[in-house]
Amino acid sequence: MNITESRKVEQERELHRGSQRERSSKFVPVGERLGRTIRYALLALISLAMAFPFYWMVTSGLKTNDEIWQFPPTFWPESINWSNYADAWNSAPFARYMFNSIFVAVCICAIQVVNASMMAYALTHMKFRLKGPFTAMVLVGYMIPTTAVYLPSYMILNELHLLDSYAGLIISNSVSVFSIFLLRQAFMQVSHELVEAGQLDGASHFRILWTIMSPLIRSSFAVMILITFIEQYNNYFWPMLITKDPDLRLVSAGLRGFFVEGGAYGLAWPQIMAASAFTIAPLLVLFAFAQKTIMQSVNMSAGVNKS
Amino acid sequence: MRLKTFREGEAVLFTLPALVPLLVFWFGPLGYIVYLSFTEWDFMSPEKLFVGLENYTYLLTHADFYQALKITLLFGLGTVIPIIVGGLALALLMNSKLRSTGLFRAMMFSPWVTPTVAVSIAWSWIFEPEVGLANLVLGWIGISPVGWLQDSTWALVAVMIVTVWKSIGWSMVFYLVALRNLPQDLMEAAAIDGANAWDKFRGITLPLISPTTLFLSIILTIQSLQAYDQINVMTQGGPAGSTRTLLYMYYQSAFESFNVGEASAIAVIIILICVLLSGLSFLLSRRLVHYS
Repeated sequence: MNITESRKVEQERELHRGSQRERSSKFVPVGERLGRTIRYALLALISLAMAFPFYWMVTSGLKTNDEIWQFPPTFWPESINWSNYADAWNSAPFARYMFNSIFVAVCICAIQVVNASMMAYALTHMKFRLKGPFTAMVLVGYMIPTTAVYLPSYMILNELHLLDSYAGLIISNSVSVFSIFLLRQAFMQVSHELVEAGQLDGASHFRILWTIMSPLIRSSFAVMILITFIEQYNNYFWPMLITKDPDLRLVSAGLRGFFVEGGAYGLAWPQIMAASAFTIAPLLVLFAFAQKTIMQSVNMSAGVNKS
Repeated sequence: MRLKTFREGEAVLFTLPALVPLLVFWFGPLGYIVYLSFTEWDFMSPEKLFVGLENYTYLLTHADFYQALKITLLFGLGTVIPIIVGGLALALLMNSKLRSTGLFRAMMFSPWVTPTVAVSIAWSWIFEPEVGLANLVLGWIGISPVGWLQDSTWALVAVMIVTVWKSIGWSMVFYLVALRNLPQDLMEAAAIDGANAWDKFRGITLPLISPTTLFLSIILTIQSLQAYDQINVMTQGGPAGSTRTLLYMYYQSAFESFNVGEASAIAVIIILICVLLSGLSFLLSRRLVHYS
């Protein structure tokens, strides 16, 4: 358990104790109780407003074309047309797009687990002359607007004959400064004595990294993998630039193609909304299950500027 | 001595799997684009023509560039400030003594995990001028309908709304963490000294969460300079260039007009703005930010 985790557990305990204390003291001033109710109502209202576009997306996808063009709009569809979802799914190779997105994202996650942890381990627990400049380079990398260098990156990828290929999609995204940062942060919390002990036992750095250190920062790995997966599944601009072959489209580019091409622009809104809904569905499901870990990423990246 | 060199070699070996792509796809292109900005090229001709500062002088003497610069600035201010202020407000609302706010937190954070392209499409429907939800809501509060994405004054506002909606919950979670780490004894001491809520907020909370504010403003500024997906889906820079940021102008001149030199010059300017703003915030942080 690293320091952030133990601190969290402590806080949770503290919170729990706090709420027990509150419950045991029966007397809550009326003003405070009223204030609390207002806050709850306000929060509920804001939360509903924030989630409303998702609701609107799903229900608009269930309406008929006639109903969707009614004004004022109906807040619940008059008839449920699941066929819109089937129509949308079948009118473009969405299964292929989703496979592409998931396949590419998983490969990138796997590569980043290896290269980010090796880099982070070297920067925190190994001694070498270029350590300072390398650390600085990673820090500076965080500040570079990557989209601004897409043009030369595109030209380099072209020289490497990697345009229009899975290899290009994967290799060009195979490093993330954020991932290195996150793991560096985690490794800094692990005592260097563990490395020394491992070395005395004759273990190589490679073994120390994978059998001793990595299990200790499991939670950081989980966060890193989830964030990378989300980022890559959602990735649009760069993959769109470097692929022309429709078979290689990731899901966002495929969806945008469906939106613009095929005569769908502004005509088949129920199908468009249905397609948007099933594109984001995997992510909302993932978020529902891994909420805590995903939001923890904030905890961890917040430490980035304090290095 | 030899042993030491061997160890160094091993460490460098450890960095290679990340270092190589980092050099090929991040730092290499960075140097390359500076060079390209001094040339003229169209992706086709065999030779890149060296033209010195011509691309820059061309940009700096044309109104298109200043228009894009203005839009970039407006978009930056109109997204970064609401996301930070709104995120902090939500965190404050949620923080104090409320139980079971987990569901609210998740609902507000959820836009952040969803693909920008898909949600921008959904928002395009909400901003539909005839039957869209946005105009219905405006109608409820007595404002006459606007053209949103088809109107050059409102299109940028619409793109900003989507951007703020997507990130406000994310910034809220940052502030929740910062607020939870505030030293409670300091707050109690201030309360004993008779400080009211506003005094405590200005005197203790705000200075102590300033590292979070600094971090968010840097990250969000860089993100706002890179915004592409929502603009591409909702407006494609239009109508009449009213949502064409520097980045979008860069994309159009590179991949639609095949003007590599001019595009590179725009990119270099974007990078310079980034460096300048980051440097400035670090200088500011020395004076204003409180690291405990």
